[in-house]
Amino acid sequence: MSLFLRDYLTVVWFGLAAILLAGLLLGVAAAVRPSRPSKEKLIAYESGVDPVGMGWSQSQIRYYVFALLFVIFDVEAVFIFPWATAVERYGWFGLITMLIFIVLLLDGLVYAWKRGLLRWV
Amino acid sequence: MLAQDDFFLAPGIEWFHLGPVIALVSGALVLLVVGALTPRWPRGLYAYVTALTAAVAGGLAVFNWNDITDDGVSTLVGGALAFDTFAQMITITVCAATLLVALVTDDELRRAGKDGPEVYALFLIAATGAVVMGSANDLILLFLGLETLSLALYVLAASDRERPTSQEAGIKYFVLGGFASAFFLYGIALIYGGTQSTNIGEIIGSFQTSVLLDGKDTLVLAGIALLIVGLGFKVAAVPFHMWTPDVYQGAPTNVTAFMASVGKAGAFAAMLRVLVIALPFHRDDWRPAIWVLAVLSLVIGSVLAVVQTDVKRMLAYSSISHAGFILVGVEAAGHNAGELAPGDGMPSVLTYLLLYSVLTVGSFAVVSLVARNNGGDTSLDAFKGLAQRRPTIALALTVFLLAQAGVPLTSGFIAKWGVIQAAVEEESYAIAIIAMVAAVVAAFLYLRIMVSTWLETGAESTEREAVPFSTGVAVFSAAAFTLLIGVWPGWLLDAAESVTTYAK
Amino acid sequence: MNGEALDFPILSMLVFMPVAGAVIITLLSKRRPEYMKLVAAVSSVATGAMSIWLTAEFNGHESGFQFVSKHSWIEQWGISWHLGVDGISLFLILLTGVLFPLAILGIDPHNDDPAKNKPYLAWLLLLEAGVMGSFMSLDLFLFFVFFEIVLVPMYFLIGGWGYEGRVQAATKFFLYTMIGSAFMLVSIMATVFIASRNGVGHVTFDLVEIAEHAEFAASTGRWLFFGFAVAFAVKVPIFPLHTWLPDAHTQAPTAGSVVLAGVMLKLGTYGLLRFGLYLFPEASLWSRHLWLSLAVIGIIYGAIAATMQKDLKRLVAYSSVAHLGFIVLGIFAVTSQSITGAVMQMVNHGVSTGALFLLVGMIYERRHTRQIADLKGIQSVAPIFAAAFMIVMLSSIGVPGLNGFVGEYLILIGSFMSARWYVVVASTGVILAALYLLWAYQRVFHGEPDEANKTFAELKLKEAAVLLPFIAVIVFAGVYPKPILERIEPAVDALITHVEDKTGYESPQPAAVATISEEGE
Repeated sequence: MSLFLRDYLTVVWFGLAAILLAGLLLGVAAAVRPSRPSKEKLIAYESGVDPVGMGWSQSQIRYYVFALLFVIFDVEAVFIFPWATAVERYGWFGLITMLIFIVLLLDGLVYAWKRGLLRWV
Repeated sequence: MLAQDDFFLAPGIEWFHLGPVIALVSGALVLLVVGALTPRWPRGLYAYVTALTAAVAGGLAVFNWNDITDDGVSTLVGGALAFDTFAQMITITVCAATLLVALVTDDELRRAGKDGPEVYALFLIAATGAVVMGSANDLILLFLGLETLSLALYVLAASDRERPTSQEAGIKYFVLGGFASAFFLYGIALIYGGTQSTNIGEIIGSFQTSVLLDGKDTLVLAGIALLIVGLGFKVAAVPFHMWTPDVYQGAPTNVTAFMASVGKAGAFAAMLRVLVIALPFHRDDWRPAIWVLAVLSLVIGSVLAVVQTDVKRMLAYSSISHAGFILVGVEAAGHNAGELAPGDGMPSVLTYLLLYSVLTVGSFAVVSLVARNNGGDTSLDAFKGLAQRRPTIALALTVFLLAQAGVPLTSGFIAKWGVIQAAVEEESYAIAIIAMVAAVVAAFLYLRIMVSTWLETGAESTEREAVPFSTGVAVFSAAAFTLLIGVWPGWLLDAAESVTTYAK
Repeated sequence: MNGEALDFPILSMLVFMPVAGAVIITLLSKRRPEYMKLVAAVSSVATGAMSIWLTAEFNGHESGFQFVSKHSWIEQWGISWHLGVDGISLFLILLTGVLFPLAILGIDPHNDDPAKNKPYLAWLLLLEAGVMGSFMSLDLFLFFVFFEIVLVPMYFLIGGWGYEGRVQAATKFFLYTMIGSAFMLVSIMATVFIASRNGVGHVTFDLVEIAEHAEFAASTGRWLFFGFAVAFAVKVPIFPLHTWLPDAHTQAPTAGSVVLAGVMLKLGTYGLLRFGLYLFPEASLWSRHLWLSLAVIGIIYGAIAATMQKDLKRLVAYSSVAHLGFIVLGIFAVTSQSITGAVMQMVNHGVSTGALFLLVGMIYERRHTRQIADLKGIQSVAPIFAAAFMIVMLSSIGVPGLNGFVGEYLILIGSFMSARWYVVVASTGVILAALYLLWAYQRVFHGEPDEANKTFAELKLKEAAVLLPFIAVIVFAGVYPKPILERIEPAVDALITHVEDKTGYESPQPAAVATISEEGE
């Protein structure tokens, strides 16, 4: 095996150890603990409150849209922060590039807005 | 303020040479933003803007081509994009297909009362992705192009919101396509691990300058395997073809046409970039894999096509068999990849892509005409008696089908001849014969459609298909192109010859 | 005069004239069927006239290609538009030129709806162009294009205007032939590339250049020949590959059968001569015993199968298998006489079998049946019709004084020198031919006509006008074959010299052919 791949051997060992440890702990716990199943114990845990309705209930699609919009602008921020820390270094080229990026995103926002996606009906 | 320091050198941006991409992106943006800000545009204006955009982008690619013939090949934006005739040829193919599809889509959407800018914007975005795949000189950029194309296609496949099959197609394509993209990306990562770069020029350089250690070579080989899986999925080669029939059948017909033309062109361009241009030093490793993929696609695509009863599904399987043909060309290109005399493999593949794109859009355009008349039915029965109702359309369909079967004096013959000739030149006789026999099997499929069209009479009550102007123009020009190339292919072959000089 | 000095591109015109006719017909309005027929008539008759003129101008003493027309077509691939005529193809071109106008003018498609005539006529004309092109091509690519393109019109003719089982027959025909072509395509390319590395020096599809300069290693040549041979063997058809033929012939409309038997089968035998023997002499000689055996099997099998047919058209179709067996026998016996006979027989078979299909078509039009059992005693109600049938049938059997005899006799006597025992077996085929045709004639024409056959109409004037040229050729070529043979011979001798030069094979010296061509006088 080459040197290059040998470096990864650590990762393999680490992974094996993790699996072994987890298996050991769960196994010992299963062997030691008493097993008395009851109906209450099988209910899904929802912050100490009894669950209402089915697990497959439908949720408002608008939440989904907002979640998506949030992710998009979050990602935008992720790109903009590192750029902002080195804005002088990248100069005009960097500025224009970033402007193009923001304009593209804004276009998307304008589109979503005009299509009524931002309205909470 | 804003002074540049020495650590960062901004890459030069050759705006004019980026023209096709810029044109496509701006077209998409105009459609989206202006389309959203203004009330509904009148009478197919969305389609005409799209067609115009595609035409402008294609025209700019022709200008670029002339620059390349004058000044030679180069790279753009700091080596990220290749500026060569290969890229321009793919651009022209993609733009031509987009133009035709836009014309076909117009009527399809308006008739259903669903006209709007979204579908067209997605077409243009997908086309941008395909163009970037064709001109990428960096694997990361290539992946970006692939994702741009794929994401747009996922949405397009599901764009008919009233039909559950369309939704199903979208989801299927999305899940499996995402899976394939992951393979592809992992392949890139491994190649990077093995060669220390994602830039195609530097990848080649790493093979030329250094003697590889075993382990790195293992990484590169594993990377190649994963790349082939990812690309095999995108080009719909057997055994990565499972999604094709369902998605092709479920997606709206105009989108299917787009997938079969632009999607394929982009994916094969990527395949050539990655395998033939970036990894010629491993050509003896990847060529057998391509050989197997080609043979499987040819045989299974043709045989399964024959037993279908739905025309869209038939054409889906036939597209798999066509992918097999194109792979024959890729295999041929693999024999001399990276050498000074690279053979006819690459030109033949690019010629095939261009000709097949036009053919397949034409075929699907006719299918969409017939389907609309029969309430969305695309089974063989719907085609019965088409020759009595619409002889001209039936004739155009026949031209497309004969061309797909590879009958002489059509462009399909020139395309097939090209790849088979490339294979025979490299003495790959076995694959050439398998390909030709598969073509005969596939011919049976095209005959079945022709039998329905010409020789069987349909129900008396069926109305004549309405042929709207824009679709008629698309069908007619595609048929004319098919025949023109069949009789006078010299100029195209001449142009295709030059793609073997590529930038890196 | 020498054809090369001619500035009128007659060969290209022979191809383009029918194409022009087809295009004009396609553009004409559907409501004016009479114009379509007129256009079809003009373009096919003009083509026929040009082919006759070509025959008249042909220099019979020259062995090479005449009236050559050569233009670069696809330069990148070394492909050119290269046409030429020699003694071997001359009469096939003439046959094509004459047969088509007769088929177009003389025979109406049996489901007669004037609107449907438009594609019918257009397909026929395209078919003519394809067949013409195949016989004249001196470029492998060009030949393949024409060879393959004839499938499309024929497919639509059989499928659109044929009889009850037409769709299946048409599909079978298309696929069978195409699978042969698949092998040929790969072979053509391999031939070109291997030739360019061995002797020719550059990539060209030119037949003459490759045949004269290429040096194939024996095993390579045999593989390449195999690819070509499969395509031609299907087209001929040679014995085990013949099953498409009875179906296609029987189901095709009369004009389709006439053309199919008359000229299209000859594409196969012509191909064997031009692209088999000429291009791959070594491989052809090496495999000749296989060919001779299959030819003889075909002769006997075709004859026996024909004897047992209940359907008159199928009987004629099987007789074609037998006749084509004779031609293949003549080709692979490789003597001057046998090949001359084979070329002659190609024309003869075209004329006599074409005429037979025509007559069977007429019977079908009158009685709407082709079953021999349903026909009886026609001779007494339609004596002229019966006489015409008799002459054509005798020519097909090969009775001395008619054309069939000259060809068959030359084949047998020529082959006797080089393939003696094959000839002995093949000769029984002549007797069998007499058996099945005479027996069929007896059942159909002799006896007292029953109720259904009493009203059998006599030969009409128009029908007679179509048949007359056939019968004239049958008698003329039987009595005075010299002008035909002396035009064929130089080309055949040149071919044999070519084979001898390339392989060191020595063909048995013939007894002077002149005496044989005197034979019929």
